[in-house]
Amino acid sequence: MKDLLIILLVCFGASANAQMEGWAQTFKDTRVINGHSVETSQKGAMKFVISHRFGALNGGTYELFGLDQSTIRMGLDYGLTDRLTIGAGRSSFEKTYDGFMKYRLLVQKDDNSPISITALANMAINTLKWENPDRENFATSRYFYTWQLLLSRKFSDDLSVQLMPTVVHRNLVPNEDIAHDVISIGGAIRYQLTKKMALQVEGYYIPEDQLASDFTMPLSVGIDIETKGHQFQFSLSNSMGMTEKIFITGTRNKWTDAGVGLGFNITRDFRIRGRK
Amino acid sequence: MMRTFLIITSALLIGVFFMQSATLRPVNEESRLAEILIRLGQNRPAHYLETIDPVKAEMGKEMVMKARTENAPSGRSSNYISTIFVCTDCHNQVKEDPNPAKLSPEARLDYAIKNDLPFLQSTTFWGLVNREAWYNDDYILKYGALVKPASTSLYESTQLCAQECSSGRKLEEWEAEAINHYYWTLELKLKDLELSSEEYNRIDQAIATENPEIRRSVIGLLKSKYMVYSPANFVDVPVSKAKGYANTAVGNTEVGKEIFDRACMTCHQYGGPSLFILDYSKKSFRHMRRNITRNDQLSLYEIVRHGTYAELGHRQYMPRYTADRMSNQQVEDLRAYIEAEAE
Repeated sequence: MKDLLIILLVCFGASANAQMEGWAQTFKDTRVINGHSVETSQKGAMKFVISHRFGALNGGTYELFGLDQSTIRMGLDYGLTDRLTIGAGRSSFEKTYDGFMKYRLLVQKDDNSPISITALANMAINTLKWENPDRENFATSRYFYTWQLLLSRKFSDDLSVQLMPTVVHRNLVPNEDIAHDVISIGGAIRYQLTKKMALQVEGYYIPEDQLASDFTMPLSVGIDIETKGHQFQFSLSNSMGMTEKIFITGTRNKWTDAGVGLGFNITRDFRIRGRK
Repeated sequence: MMRTFLIITSALLIGVFFMQSATLRPVNEESRLAEILIRLGQNRPAHYLETIDPVKAEMGKEMVMKARTENAPSGRSSNYISTIFVCTDCHNQVKEDPNPAKLSPEARLDYAIKNDLPFLQSTTFWGLVNREAWYNDDYILKYGALVKPASTSLYESTQLCAQECSSGRKLEEWEAEAINHYYWTLELKLKDLELSSEEYNRIDQAIATENPEIRRSVIGLLKSKYMVYSPANFVDVPVSKAKGYANTAVGNTEVGKEIFDRACMTCHQYGGPSLFILDYSKKSFRHMRRNITRNDQLSLYEIVRHGTYAELGHRQYMPRYTADRMSNQQVEDLRAYIEAEAE
């Protein structure tokens, strides 16, 4: 443990003076659609992220194609260094609080690496009222953890691809047939359509026998629009979740049933500290 | 009694003689230009420093490079002067003109290419303390009355730059003092003026004489070897953006690439101070080409010649390039490069 701390301190120390100039910008933002991209926030930059997900289009006119059902996540990310970002947020879906730490291990181009690698650790806590408050309930049963390795490559000025091997750990599951640890592999593609607009697709493949049969794999398609200081992302997704434990292990809707909902992310960067 | 008086008087006279010898250093290539001018009878500038404190100069350098110092007098890091910009986003810290007496954007770009320097909007800090005016000429059109105190005082111009140009805050007195000490590490020495041996002799003779005419003429000689102020002439966009600037040659794409690399990308690369990121992709160049004839800041001409202004919520802005920092021909060279890359 001590050795690990020393390694981390050396890594963080070495990165303290790192600058993003010369880095390949694989994605334009720290989020692809629901999940994280390989990008980290610039040192000293505070990013305000506001995300909305609406209900499924197959709700018809009664639900105004899902607009009557909306969930929101508001969060703040902060770049401690150009490589290390921390963040926290609160999502109305299951009244979930989450916090994460993201560290850029390798950068395409600048580190003479063909790919960029970022490690992500995330923790989420569901704070819904206890269904049965009279029995002994444990706060730890509502903890969820996610570990991801984000591996990306910018193949050309227009095309970026990312793979996300992921483990989601759930402290409590409904029954013993369901796995506590869900292993999945995510994939994301970004294709630049114009200088300011890109098409993005993000999905996760979850090998069988890890989730109950009514859960499915999340798939999202979105348009990313870059403006001065803001990033707008509009998406269609079969998941209403904005934290890993929800969209990876809690997606029930299916694209084949028009079980997809509109969503958007808006991010805005504020400078808290100087750039150097 | 008389003997004691004579001994003390002699000792004092000898002491004064040696003190003068120590102060009046011989004139050579390493002589400080400002000191020589003072010895020739020029008034001491308000920002003049007899000696440079290396500790303060180092603090000042940190503030110039990083917008704060980690070694403030409090023992802790100082607050950022600006969270948006650092001085080096707009100012080089080394000689940037091959001939300090004749400033031209073409010569400066050639010199920047040879010495791998950025090609920036604002003048270098090298020799800044030797200038006699700042925020010159048309800067009054941008900053109005704020320019008046700044134009005749390096202290005030530094304060104006810290607050307005860098979207930052007023410098504390110790910060301004430390930055001034740093500025003086970049002062001109006689060697920077490339004087002939005959001119060195004239300086020696002028210092030795009490004749004000001779001294004035040598002061004139020295000031003809560098610019005592940097001109700043604002230029408008061409009458027809489609046709570009009149009286210019066909744009040179090689020169344009150098300008794109050394000017645009200094701030617009990923991780730079600008929120508008540029890269070398076709889409990026096509975006620029498509907007050339627009009448807003997306147009190359508008952004180069008018820049942008800091706004509430968007304190990042782009300072304009004056005619003295980028010529009309260079703008056309840049356009030619953008258009060629967009093909």
